[in-house]
Amino acid sequence: MSLIFTDDQKSLAQTVKRFVADRSPMPRVREVIGGEHAYDAEVWSRLAGDLGLAGLIIPEEYGGAGATHADLSAALRELGAGLVPSPLLACVLTAGALLALDDEPAKHDLLPRLAEGGLVGALAVSEPGERHWIPGTPATTATGSGDAVTLSGTKIAVLNGAEAGVLLVQATGPGGAALYLVEGDAAGLTVSRDAGVDPTRSTATVTFDGTPARPLAGDAAAALDRVADLANLAIAAEQSGAMLACLTMTTEYAKVRYTFGQPIGAYQGVKHKLADMYNRWALSDAALREATRAADEEPAKLGAAAAAARALTSSGYLTSAKETMLLHGGIGFTWEHDAHFYYKNAIAGNVLAGDGDYQLDRLADKLGV
Amino acid sequence: MTSTDEFRARARAWLEQNAKPFDEAADYDLEGTAVPLEESKRFQKALWEAGFAGITWPEEYGGQGLGPAELIAFSEEAADFELPTGPFTIGLGMPGPTILELGTEEQKKRYLPPLLKGEEIWCQLFSEPSAGSDVASLQTTATRTETGWIINGQKVWTSGAQHSDYGAIIARTDPSVPKHSGITMFIVDMSHPGVTVRPLVVATGHAPFNEVFFDDVEVSDDAVIGRVGEGWAAAVVMLRHERVTIGTGTRARSNPLGFDSLLELARARGLNDDPAVRRRLALLYARESALGAYGRVLHEESMAGVPIGARGSAAKLAGAEQALWAADLAQDLLGADLALGGADLERVVMAVVAAPGNAVAGGTNEIQRNIIGERVLGLAKDPGVDRNTPYNKLKLSR
Ligand SMILES: Cc1cc2nc3c(=O)[nH]c(=O)nc-3n(C[C@H](O)[C@H](O)[C@H](O)COP(=O)(O)OP(=O)(O)OC[C@H]3O[C@@H](n4cnc5c(N)ncnc54)[C@H](O)[C@@H]3O)c2cc1C
Repeated sequence: MSLIFTDDQKSLAQTVKRFVADRSPMPRVREVIGGEHAYDAEVWSRLAGDLGLAGLIIPEEYGGAGATHADLSAALRELGAGLVPSPLLACVLTAGALLALDDEPAKHDLLPRLAEGGLVGALAVSEPGERHWIPGTPATTATGSGDAVTLSGTKIAVLNGAEAGVLLVQATGPGGAALYLVEGDAAGLTVSRDAGVDPTRSTATVTFDGTPARPLAGDAAAALDRVADLANLAIAAEQSGAMLACLTMTTEYAKVRYTFGQPIGAYQGVKHKLADMYNRWALSDAALREATRAADEEPAKLGAAAAAARALTSSGYLTSAKETMLLHGGIGFTWEHDAHFYYKNAIAGNVLAGDGDYQLDRLADKLGV
Repeated sequence: MTSTDEFRARARAWLEQNAKPFDEAADYDLEGTAVPLEESKRFQKALWEAGFAGITWPEEYGGQGLGPAELIAFSEEAADFELPTGPFTIGLGMPGPTILELGTEEQKKRYLPPLLKGEEIWCQLFSEPSAGSDVASLQTTATRTETGWIINGQKVWTSGAQHSDYGAIIARTDPSVPKHSGITMFIVDMSHPGVTVRPLVVATGHAPFNEVFFDDVEVSDDAVIGRVGEGWAAAVVMLRHERVTIGTGTRARSNPLGFDSLLELARARGLNDDPAVRRRLALLYARESALGAYGRVLHEESMAGVPIGARGSAAKLAGAEQALWAADLAQDLLGADLALGGADLERVVMAVVAAPGNAVAGGTNEIQRNIIGERVLGLAKDPGVDRNTPYNKLKLSR
């Protein structure tokens, strides 16, 4: 019922925060970004394994911790604040899709591996030229039947597509749109990593050319609707954390940077922008809390609450990241300063898994407007 | 059923029996006078008798001694009804909590129960013609006598003074020290012959607030709230409660600029299929529900012992911005009809006209931003050229 953190959530947040400070501080993030890999495998294995984040919202019967969405959001805030590159979001969405389907063999095979972090999963839904991140009728097709199904088509913006051991692919089969399981090393699968604006997030373009796939039993549309809610929750949590990081960084700077004999924070032109930044964060974060509460206690309200939270965090973070650059003056525009990484993360995060208009349309639908 | 669910069910049942359901078609009661005062008092008393007044206040002062969950449950249920409790909002939201926090045992026993029972109405006597944002520069004086104090001066924009039995007033008790140090807060009996209340008409044409004049109004020593010379600290406590009260008021269906009302308006005007309108309505909902959630976070934290500090200012600012934002949307939905008016649009037109008041009452948006910047984020204070100057040496707009 509560919107404030439990002691367990506070301690989880504290643990993740300390881990980020020790193992993935910004200088290390810069090294990872400059390297060949999308994320630091060692950091990921500890996040997934030692801290148990990959299996947090996977039920115990499938090898997870059966924790709450509020728990997950407590951890994601800290990862978002540190811009930690990791496939956690992709794995949460993959697990969420599987959990919403009725394919027990696939659940028993994949969920325990996703829960321990040994397997990275990716969700391939968006297609070129389609504004909706989840197409109603995908152009990607599935042909054949039984064990002999193959996929053909192209999927874009596949989060961690290049790192995934398995992909859940939405395609139009004989009975309409459905979800299919494709192994990462399947024949006829081409994955090319995008040179996206946000170097902390890895996305890929994935093409299927007669690629062997296994149809997944269950209601794909319902599962993807659930995934859209989960994506909104998870991205909103990361963005709330990142917004707070921007606010904290800029507030500290406003206390130590002097002009005309005063700290810049004494000037209302700066102070009032920071106050607005505070309010954007405080209100978005409250919306996020309401959304996680709905996810854990009142699922009927989740769709609207998650879209509302996401609409506020995405636009709010973008504005705050921009202000962070501006209020740092010249240094805020340099490569050496971290502000631009937040800005890029906000730009990409604003359109990831559905842009602002998509979220508002979704919210209007859920509200029956 | 948890005890909160039971409480909620009991509240719902009581409201259905005793309160008027929200009626879209009813006159918009800006002044709070559509309901006779006696009716408001009777309702507040019944509310108290049923156990729904002072939900989180201690039992020894007439409260229910319950937690934020019950308070929130009641507010949510009450949102569907039109409660004629307007005259008590100030007393219950500002002087009441301040007396609870700073008052003497005698003051708490004397003033809190009649407030909860709807027997006495209060107002807040802070602003003066030349001291609003900078209320610490106030000019009303309280001069020592043998047995108490004599108050002289003028207050302005005093909401509800016309109905009030008591007021919480701040007055200067020592002009020789810097402005924040020489102030004291008193309880003043509004029926004293030296108190004159004159209505002030606002932009909407209504008169919700007043000018109040004090000519040799005597108060006794036990009328001091907090300590002599520490009235500024008491005022800050009251202003914090005010901002929390204003900022965290739950979403009422009767708010003509709320999501439910503007959705109705959009439907009535056939605009709810327009993609741009749908998105703005969705955003209105998102902002409104975030504001509600933020209010609940603050309530829960304060009940859990986490200090709210100055964060009521964040809620207050957000609420004022929401009203202005929603007024813009209402204007766009109405188009030219807004200017032309008409009986069926009076509610919403009046609400649009009244919206800027939200950004002034209880401290302007600029003042809230200063407070958030300085007291929540810890930024450098305004240099405050007047902070250390004795009051009687200050430059003031007199
Ligand atoms: C509907 C309504 C109800 C009210 N009810 C009450 C009541 O019950 N009791 C009561 O005591 N008062 C009440 N008030 C008064 C209210 O608190 C004051 O009007 C308010 O604090 C602003 O003060 P002012 O009017 O003197 O404006 P000013 O202080 O003169 O401000 C004028 C403008 O200057 C800006 N400004 C001033 N100082 C600064 C600064 N330091 N930095 C940046 N900008 C600044 C303000 O934001 C504003 O835009 C009410 C007002 C309204 C509108």
